[in-house]
Amino acid sequence: MMLATFGLSKHFPIRGAFRATTRLRAVDDANLRIGSEEIVGLVGESGSGKSTLGRCLLRLIEPSAGEVLFDIPDETLKEYEEARSNADAARAADIAERFSLLRRSSSEMRTLRRHMNIVFQDPYSSLNPRWKLTDVIAEPMISTRFCTRAEADDRARDLLREVGLPEFFENRYPHELSGGQRQRVAIARAISTHPRLLVLDEPTSALDVSVQAQILNLLRTLRDKYSISMLLITHNIAVVAYLAEQVYVMYAGVIMERGTKAKVLREPQHPYTKALMSAVPIVGERKVRTILRGDPPNLVDPPQACRFHPRCPVAFEICGWTAGEIAEDLEFLLRGKYYATFGDQVQVVVESDERLRVEGISGPSNVQTLIDNEKAEVRSLSGIRTVIVQGGGVVLDLYPPVDPILYPTPDGRGVKCLLYRPPAAGSV
Amino acid sequence: MATVTATKRRWDDVRLSATVFLGNKTAVAGLVIFLLFIGDAVIVQIAPGLLGVDNPDSVIPPQFTQTNPECVGAPPEAPSWSHPFGTTQYGLSGIGCLDLLQLTMKAIRIDVAISFFVVLTGAAIGTLFGVVSAYLGRWFDELLMRVTDVFFSIPFLILALAVGYVVGRTLFNMALALIIVWWPLYARYARSLTLSTKESTFIEAARAAGSGRIKIMVFHIFPNVLPPILVQISLDVGTIITILATLAFIGFLNVLVPELGVLANIGLGLAPLGYWWTVIVPGLVITAFALAVNLMGDGLRDVIDPRRRS
Repeated sequence: MMLATFGLSKHFPIRGAFRATTRLRAVDDANLRIGSEEIVGLVGESGSGKSTLGRCLLRLIEPSAGEVLFDIPDETLKEYEEARSNADAARAADIAERFSLLRRSSSEMRTLRRHMNIVFQDPYSSLNPRWKLTDVIAEPMISTRFCTRAEADDRARDLLREVGLPEFFENRYPHELSGGQRQRVAIARAISTHPRLLVLDEPTSALDVSVQAQILNLLRTLRDKYSISMLLITHNIAVVAYLAEQVYVMYAGVIMERGTKAKVLREPQHPYTKALMSAVPIVGERKVRTILRGDPPNLVDPPQACRFHPRCPVAFEICGWTAGEIAEDLEFLLRGKYYATFGDQVQVVVESDERLRVEGISGPSNVQTLIDNEKAEVRSLSGIRTVIVQGGGVVLDLYPPVDPILYPTPDGRGVKCLLYRPPAAGSV
Repeated sequence: MATVTATKRRWDDVRLSATVFLGNKTAVAGLVIFLLFIGDAVIVQIAPGLLGVDNPDSVIPPQFTQTNPECVGAPPEAPSWSHPFGTTQYGLSGIGCLDLLQLTMKAIRIDVAISFFVVLTGAAIGTLFGVVSAYLGRWFDELLMRVTDVFFSIPFLILALAVGYVVGRTLFNMALALIIVWWPLYARYARSLTLSTKESTFIEAARAAGSGRIKIMVFHIFPNVLPPILVQISLDVGTIITILATLAFIGFLNVLVPELGVLANIGLGLAPLGYWWTVIVPGLVITAFALAVNLMGDGLRDVIDPRRRS
């Protein structure tokens, strides 16, 4: 296995008046596997944390928690997984000590950087405007002590040819190149030290469509020629479909689904993946789109349990409805659509995390009817377990939420959705 | 072959810059005046005789009254063919016959030298602190910025005067005082430039390439911060000369060095008596220099701004 992460998280501290008080949970508990010579796609919308995850792998951003095991033999990885699941901390720490990038000192890391590199989205800002292209391409070779200055200059010329640029570009400056040419230079820089892992952070998003295909073909050729493992971060499903073998889907900092390209893209399982795939246009076909309501959540205070549940079209009882969410929806219905029935006096009070009270109503049984009628449309109402008439009002008890994990499915993928929870694990 | 193309490209770059600069007529006018000042300063330094200047370091040559007794009490003369800028008169005893053109030529050397010295030293110190502070961030940045706040909160003339009265009122100390006043400006400017450069992806690419902090600071950030700083330097030379003259005019210097502010100060008592040129001439020279430098700086700004080049 080229790379395996365990519980990788990045929480950015948000500066308060005096010290960091809140945290933005950009990536939470990411378990990513990249096999040797494999191209793994990581898709998700803007702000889903895919770039942060990619940077954490290379320690360009220091992760808050988790391990990044690099170039670990499959047997050792299995051993590590067992140690983790058996809570054998000593054994796990021992293996992590040997393979985890996060436990390398900065000088060890510098040499290790030879084996990994990154290509960024914007080729206009990823090349220093005051450096000649030779120097740009030679930088990783010199900084990681891959070779001497003179050798690096020679190799830079070879690399220019390798990525399809003329050798005489070596003395040019980035502003003399087009976007596609610059991205080729960025790729030449990234592969200059014969890396074994390449993170491609939206490598084609800033380019014209005609140039995108050239860059993707170049990447594929280089992968075949130098057997590089790649993590392809993109929001463009077509790019993933073209290059990747495995696909991870991210939403709001959490990996929602993982599987082979064919499975994830053609038969998505997770409700979010389904919605995402339904947004991909297909030429000559009319599609029924699943249109999600609302916006991606605020990651400072993400939804409890499943982060997708507030927008999920199939969310049910235990997906993580909080008393606040239900109260808001209920109040909206009581005072709006059902105003004629309930009038002005009605009020929803949050009593605790699992209990709500509706006050100021005449006929308590009306609430039950309302819930039954609206459940299909307003998903949060499914989180109400019991409706009990008490005094002048109604007490609503809620289901306790369940945190989903990446449940393995029979066809070999992982889906982080309670719909795929094995029945043996517990019943609703 | 490759190197030939490279030199050619470099040369093209210089030619483009020259075209942009020369296309700006006012900038060229500024450059011409600026070069006249520099030329004067250099000649007075190397061979003062060429311009008919003697004793470039003093307003009144030694034994002047002994050799020219007729000048004692001589009133200032209006500009004429023999004295194009007129003459001035110094002190209570009234030492006259002091040719203002000669004095001005002497003064330009000193003013130009001091203002360059102040701006270059201040820019060097400020840029160094600004880049390091922005790149390291955290408490160091916080500390340095509070220090610059202290400097900014005191009016610079007052601060310069205070420094002068502490360390002594000499020409060198005047330069020192101005450096102390001026470096925080560059520290702030360099810091802001560094902060924006630091966020560029190529810095992250350099980290991914395994380059260390020092290397990134010296080879990535510094070359990108320098050009705007150079333009700022070219603009500040003009500003500094006016401040320099102001300080001298209000009496910072207690020695009689030929300096434009000192010359204006000498004329201060004479102007009300009708000898207007004794103040106007040094004043106009200061204005001309400041104006020329500013016009030139604007032209330079166009040259380094890539958006205006294309």
